[in-house]
Amino acid sequence: MTTKTYDVVIVGSGISGSIVAYELGRQGKKVLILEAGQAVPVDRSGYMQTFYKANAKTPESPYPPTTQNPNASTPTNPLGLPDPAKENVPRYTVLQINAWRKPDQCYFTYPPQALGLKGDSPDALFAFASSYERIGGGTTWHWLGTSLRHFTHDFVLKTMYDQGVDWPGGDTFYQALVPYYEKATREIGVAGDAQAWSKIYTQFGMTSGGPNYAYPMPAIVESLVDKAFDVSPVTSLTVDGIPLYSTSTPQGRNSLPGDRRQCAGNTNCIPICPIQAKYDATVTLANALQTGNVDIVYCCVASNVRLDPTSDAVTGIDYITYADHLGPATGTGTAVGSIYVLAAHAIETPKLLLMSNKNAKFPKGVANSSGQVGRNLMDHVMYLAWGLAKDPVYAFRGPLSSSGFESVRDGAFRSKRAAYRIEIGNEGWQWAVGDPTTTLADFVFGQNGSQLNGDSVNEQGQALRFNPALPPNSTLFGKQLVDTLNAIYVRQIRLGYLIEQLPDPKNRVELSETETDHLGLPRPLVTYRLSSDYERNAFVSAKEVSTEIFKAMGATEYTKAPPPPVLYGTADEVTATNFQYQGTNFKFYGAGHIVGTYCMGTEKSNSVLNSRQQSWDHGNLYMVGSGVFPTIATGNPTLTIAALAFQAADNILKDLGGY
Amino acid sequence: MSSDMQNFIGLSAVLTGFNQEILAPELDPVDIKSEYLPLFESKIAQESGDPQLVQQILLKYASLAAGGGTEQEIGTAMLDPSNGANWVLACRKLIYTWYAGAWPTLIPPGPSKPASTVGDVISAESYTAGLVWQVMQSHPMGDSNYRYGYWATKPASLSDYTGNP
Repeated sequence: MTTKTYDVVIVGSGISGSIVAYELGRQGKKVLILEAGQAVPVDRSGYMQTFYKANAKTPESPYPPTTQNPNASTPTNPLGLPDPAKENVPRYTVLQINAWRKPDQCYFTYPPQALGLKGDSPDALFAFASSYERIGGGTTWHWLGTSLRHFTHDFVLKTMYDQGVDWPGGDTFYQALVPYYEKATREIGVAGDAQAWSKIYTQFGMTSGGPNYAYPMPAIVESLVDKAFDVSPVTSLTVDGIPLYSTSTPQGRNSLPGDRRQCAGNTNCIPICPIQAKYDATVTLANALQTGNVDIVYCCVASNVRLDPTSDAVTGIDYITYADHLGPATGTGTAVGSIYVLAAHAIETPKLLLMSNKNAKFPKGVANSSGQVGRNLMDHVMYLAWGLAKDPVYAFRGPLSSSGFESVRDGAFRSKRAAYRIEIGNEGWQWAVGDPTTTLADFVFGQNGSQLNGDSVNEQGQALRFNPALPPNSTLFGKQLVDTLNAIYVRQIRLGYLIEQLPDPKNRVELSETETDHLGLPRPLVTYRLSSDYERNAFVSAKEVSTEIFKAMGATEYTKAPPPPVLYGTADEVTATNFQYQGTNFKFYGAGHIVGTYCMGTEKSNSVLNSRQQSWDHGNLYMVGSGVFPTIATGNPTLTIAALAFQAADNILKDLGGY
Repeated sequence: MSSDMQNFIGLSAVLTGFNQEILAPELDPVDIKSEYLPLFESKIAQESGDPQLVQQILLKYASLAAGGGTEQEIGTAMLDPSNGANWVLACRKLIYTWYAGAWPTLIPPGPSKPASTVGDVISAESYTAGLVWQVMQSHPMGDSNYRYGYWATKPASLSDYTGNP
């Protein structure tokens, strides 16, 4: 592979790497992609079989390497989690969150908790709550499909609200990104309702590029669950003075038959769409490969970035190959091109830069003269609320989510608390309590994990036993079991608040000094806090707003207050994502939006990349993906990731003199 | 169908509330019953330490069914505590298996955790055959046989899914 000359070497075949490869390949540039994980399979039936058989249907469950082996269950490792030290390409999975203090089960390592902290301390450390994939096609295999733009105010958070930072150039950055948002929308094939979004854009003063937005496909029809929230008692509510109303979500799934199949409502976008009605990056990767100018090597793990000691230019990327995921390394080599693009997402990209510490002038790692590599790790931290609607809404049907409350994503409140969008779930209590099996077990075995079969009372003082005529811990069979389960499942509703987390330089990815993977590469050391009142105030707001919404629609709220945080104790005793704020116990969930860690900025001293997504330190090194975001903003990140990748590809073409 | 299988299906129908025609249709390419019966026999023998227990359960069902009781009466008799704790637990695990397509392990409550159940998925086919998807008038997550947009209208009636009025 070192014998062939490439214009561009890309690390990673997810949505960013694939878009850059496609754009360059179409222009006749020779591109090599190094993909650490296994090849895109010839069809998805193998992944589907793995998914069907998985006990825990987590986002990563269909994909290699295996997330758990129930036959390997032990008292200290009840889920049978694999040892990351024995895997060539381990990744963090949501099953590892509660094992975050067990390095033989968890790929990420974490620093010890400082002594003397209380449950409400802003310095408390938590487990990171989101995961990613290391396979051909990357994490879009398990993305939801939500394709939102950021709002203009998201780019000027510092100027508008004195929070976080602005994106470099602020509004100018957004204006330049608009044509790339349109390209990204076409590439993903977004189905959306332009009229509904015109209303939102107008509300938020997005006069340029916003309303005149043509979606490639008509909006995905809304679910009966969506309609239950679109009633006047709910849409008469306000949040911090802003009217609350739901809007159909623009989604990367086919509402019409096309190159891919029309969505059949498998209610399984995460972990895997069985029919590829949902866009994933294998679509763009295939297009890239079909240009004839793009090569890809799988099972090829980038391990070091080489620099020219005089010019500081990148001269090559060292890699290690393997054949079997648990087997030995099979070789090493160096990939050489004119320009290099790191597209390995927001954990593995900074890890690669930090591992590349053999260059005398860059002892802290490549592209890291600022010391910012790995810093400002962010996620949309999520608050979940769930309840039972008064009438059937027929949950567990349609795509996992088809609308949300977008109208409250921005406002003057942002000087005090984080913004959020509210996603309406179509998957009942699957995420919230692990249904359908939790409620099933309750009424078969007389348990009360769902709070429907005991003496639980919610915070509004309402008794939660589903049928007051039955005793607590009832065990049912036959028709009574059928009727009870049916009446519950068809009424289940769930809201998820995607709360923006501020860039915090202390939230960071470093290299573990003790733990490695099977190739001998260091594993991530992750410091993760939820330190600001800005973020925590949004949890207080989310809790209040949920209760108001459920009350307005006549639903009964079942949101269960989590146990208080446990910061000290054994690995089994400590909690992972529980915190206290203003006397209330909260638990945050991950949105899967891993953001920051190689941010763009205005100066070499405060950022890793300039606004061209080009390293300040090395002119022929680019980085793409959500790691470039200076702030996480209020929209799910993938459409912006794709838009930025198109923009980076144009910048690279200019540098190559072909544009 | 063997007599054991007939009794197994009859008992399963009584306990789950689903019609025998749904559990074991005449044309049955998936044939999940043939996966469940041997699993039920071996798991219960192993967990209860009584290799005869499943036979006794099936024979009691056969005699009750022959006696002409209603499904409600038969189910109540099968689940009566006087049959013994292992017996009742076996019947309850059978219900869970049909609904979840998974074999259950009951986890007793801990200091800060309520009692819970962990299911071990039996096979790819058992996951999609789970009755839980039918009782919610839907489809297995990840195995929809419906068409685009079905989620905007109400599903067919519950009895269409259970085969029972």
